[in-house]
Amino acid sequence: MGGDAYTFKFLGLMFNWTNLISGLVIFVLVFCLLYGLSRKLQMKPKGAQNLMEWMIDFTNGIVRGQMPANEAPHYNFMAFVLFVFILIANEFGLIFQFGWGGHELLRSPTADPIITMTLALVIMTLTHFAGVARHGFVGYLKSYCTPYTAMLPINLFEEFSNFLTLGLRLFGNIYAGELLLKLLAQMAFSHGIPTMIVSLPLEVVWQGFSFFIGGVQAYVFVTLTTVYISSKVSTEE
Amino acid sequence: MFAQSVLAESNSLYVGDMVFYIISFIILMLLVKKFAWKPVVKMMHDRAEKIANDIDSAEQSRNEASDLASKRQVELQNSRQEAATIISNAKQSGEKQRTQIIASAQNDAQALKENAQQDAKQARQDALNSAQNDVANLSIEIASKIIHKELNANDQKALIDSYIEGLGKDES
Repeated sequence: MGGDAYTFKFLGLMFNWTNLISGLVIFVLVFCLLYGLSRKLQMKPKGAQNLMEWMIDFTNGIVRGQMPANEAPHYNFMAFVLFVFILIANEFGLIFQFGWGGHELLRSPTADPIITMTLALVIMTLTHFAGVARHGFVGYLKSYCTPYTAMLPINLFEEFSNFLTLGLRLFGNIYAGELLLKLLAQMAFSHGIPTMIVSLPLEVVWQGFSFFIGGVQAYVFVTLTTVYISSKVSTEE
Repeated sequence: MFAQSVLAESNSLYVGDMVFYIISFIILMLLVKKFAWKPVVKMMHDRAEKIANDIDSAEQSRNEASDLASKRQVELQNSRQEAATIISNAKQSGEKQRTQIIASAQNDAQALKENAQQDAKQARQDALNSAQNDVANLSIEIASKIIHKELNANDQKALIDSYIEGLGKDES
């Protein structure tokens, strides 16, 4: 996992300073960004308000594309916050990476499997909850036996694999991006000037690509979230 | 409580982070909903409503404008017709007046001419009558003076009349 990081035990739970600090920074950053973008609202929007409304429209579009129209409005807000949070978290590590005493303190929280699996766990819990709320507990259990009872093990396994892939896909992409950035930086400082000249453009290119990957992964995460919720709440028998 | 260590040494799953992230995420959602999401979505909704209203009212005023235009067209047509009737009426009455004036003038002229002829005829008749009488009396007097004989005035008059008649025929 993270490997070497400062940790501490509190109330019998293990905490990791890196995740706490990075997470706190991301949460504060996301809130300040959204708060700043939603000031001075006008009927005729300009500047910040346009960006905010564009993001809202974008995530609303993701939700609308996957769900029946009567269900979609319930999940607009969650998709929006999830998207902005994951996007900022993904890109954060490309800009700021900070360590002290050989241990990282500041980086993308989404480059840690614990964090991505936490997000995936929350989402999967939400999908099951939505399924029960929509069809009732019996109907929810019945949905595992569709189209016929023999599919039960496959359906159960699908739930598990959904959870696993949702979290690990995000972790893998972001972690790999940051790892390669770190390796390129090591290479740059390994043999003085020549390696620096070689690795600088590589670093720039890879940073740009990771930036793109970060956006795509945020989009994919939110899209899959809505797909899973939609498959639980849809009425098809 | 705070047992500091490095993960490589402790080597256990840091469940605390999960709790921290879940709680933080919920707090973030609540804050964003209150301070950013609700006002913006409300504004977007208001705008959608306003645009819908604007479209409706634009449609309405367009209809009103086209109504007014057609009404004006009809009125223009009416006033044009009215003007045409007024002109034709004026023409007709002018024509009528003209013919009336001409006819009355002709009548007057005719009457004047007839009167004048009548007067002339009367005057001639009067002149002839008085001349007859005068001539008869004169001739009686002349005859009585010349012949010194009393003549029957009536016989004499018949004789004179026959002369005068002959004169009138020659004249006319």
